[in-house]
Amino acid sequence: MIYEEMTKQIREAAKRLLKEGAVDVILAYRGGGLNEMQVPFFVKKPEDAELIEWGDRCYQNLAPYVHGLNKKVGILAKPCDVRAIVQYITEFQIERDKVTIIGVDCIGMVDENGNARPGCSECRVHKPPVYDEYIRDERAANLPAIEPKAGETTLEENLERFQKEIDKCILCYSCRQACYGCYCKTCFIERDMPDWQPAEIDTGTKITFHMGRAMHLAGRCVDCGACEAACQSGVNVRYIIREVTKFIEDAYGYSAGMDAEEPPALLTNKFDDKEFGFLGGERHE
Amino acid sequence: MSEAAIKLTKGELEKMLAALMRDRTVFAPGSTGAKLEYLPVDDVSDIVFGDELPYKSPKDVFFPRCEKIVTFSENGAEAELPETQTVLFGARPCDLEALDMLKTILTQGKFKDPFFAARYENALIIGLACAEKKPGCFCDQRETDLDYSEKCDLFLRADGDKFEVLYVSDKGKKALGAHIPGLEQFKNTPREFRPAETLSLDAAEDDLFTKIDWEEITETCQSCGICTYVCPTCHCFMFKDVEEDDKAYRYRNWDSCMFPKFTLHASGHNPRAAKRERYRQRVAHKYVYIKENFGMTACTGCGRCIRSCPAGMSIKTVVEGIREELQ
Repeated sequence: MIYEEMTKQIREAAKRLLKEGAVDVILAYRGGGLNEMQVPFFVKKPEDAELIEWGDRCYQNLAPYVHGLNKKVGILAKPCDVRAIVQYITEFQIERDKVTIIGVDCIGMVDENGNARPGCSECRVHKPPVYDEYIRDERAANLPAIEPKAGETTLEENLERFQKEIDKCILCYSCRQACYGCYCKTCFIERDMPDWQPAEIDTGTKITFHMGRAMHLAGRCVDCGACEAACQSGVNVRYIIREVTKFIEDAYGYSAGMDAEEPPALLTNKFDDKEFGFLGGERHE
Repeated sequence: MSEAAIKLTKGELEKMLAALMRDRTVFAPGSTGAKLEYLPVDDVSDIVFGDELPYKSPKDVFFPRCEKIVTFSENGAEAELPETQTVLFGARPCDLEALDMLKTILTQGKFKDPFFAARYENALIIGLACAEKKPGCFCDQRETDLDYSEKCDLFLRADGDKFEVLYVSDKGKKALGAHIPGLEQFKNTPREFRPAETLSLDAAEDDLFTKIDWEEITETCQSCGICTYVCPTCHCFMFKDVEEDDKAYRYRNWDSCMFPKFTLHASGHNPRAAKRERYRQRVAHKYVYIKENFGMTACTGCGRCIRSCPAGMSIKTVVEGIREELQ
């Protein structure tokens, strides 16, 4: 019932924005996926807004579609999608006035068995931090704050778990493609000067890729879970990225995508910034 | 059933597989802890029976994700053909259909792939019927009978806690006759499969290029390429040469037409730079080009790309849309 009411409000907002000409296209969801999944949907005409659906199966992070789309765009955005958009703005990838954010409260997505989706079970942000239009969900106000599990294990334990996870990896790079933050035109792993990826696809290659990706997401990951959701091999490398995220939070008090005015932690330098050596150890003089 | 019906208990089947493990590498559905896939198993208790379809096709048994194919040294170039004798157990009719297509494409066309051919020759393929279609499966529309296949050496159907033999090839009789009593006298009863409707394309390439709005079809595609990795018939690959010590090696790895760099020329020109062009290539390759070259549609309706797509795209819906558009 709540989702139906929210869907109605979203459709109205979308229709209005398209009619006013405030946007050329609205990124939203509609039904029709397998197992009642709500799939991404590009709304271009006001009458198509009637097809928009909002519910607990809107898995996809829609932010990556905004990147490189040279249009005035509206986006139906869960808090994690909003954070990704905000991060794009702070990283000078899109301009704030080119995007209209229909922020929506989110209590988390579930799969066909009712289990929380990757990213949703440990989500800390249930309300969109930035928005132009706002769709409320009363239930989002009363959710307990969950502290992310990170920084609890030793380096050795992490390494062991990491190796177990990447054993499953077939190095198809779907995680990278699904990630809002992986927008490099050429990924470091595909560069050949230097050649980061040896020909043989072994554990070392996989470590290089996943570690490299985690480092490049330092202080940028918005914990949307898209990487894990895209992975068909069931590899969970998000926990290692969370370790990096926690490190940045502890060191610089910065959470990605919460404030469009705040420059990202690793894009600024202050004189009193803490300095760390490789892997967070003593600074190497 | 005729008197010649052969039914194996699960114990007898496991005993046979265990015996085969002594001098062959057995690939069978097994769990990685997260997903079901075809894995090399050395203990029958690791095999997962049941009707679940592994998320990825068994094509990598014959066409590995990464393979060292040539060694270069001062004595010249040397290619080593794979010699390992293998068994693939539990391949479904859609996968068997696909493996047969790969065999045609890779060994009977203009160019021959000796590595695939050797692996296929060295393998004993045991197929297994599906009890039912899974969400996303459209094998019937792709002319694949989920209950029967002759594109293997032995075909079984789970019947309660037993496995009934439905088909055996000459190779299967020779290799498995000692393990299954009565197999050598078994007479195959060929079956014909008549699907109610068939999903295929009779489109001209020009029409596909000019009359279809690929931009709209692919606007939600993320170019992640997982569809090509899980697909049983996708077989594009790339080479990479590396130098180590005083030798050099040539590796063959899977590639994917969904990746922007797939067709990037050394000049910097890219004929398929946009995802609409890449996706068009994938659909056209499966439903048009291979049909022109080999007379078959290289999609078996296994539904893996549909189940795997994070954006919920479906090749079935896309092809249906094209048919409607071009009629």
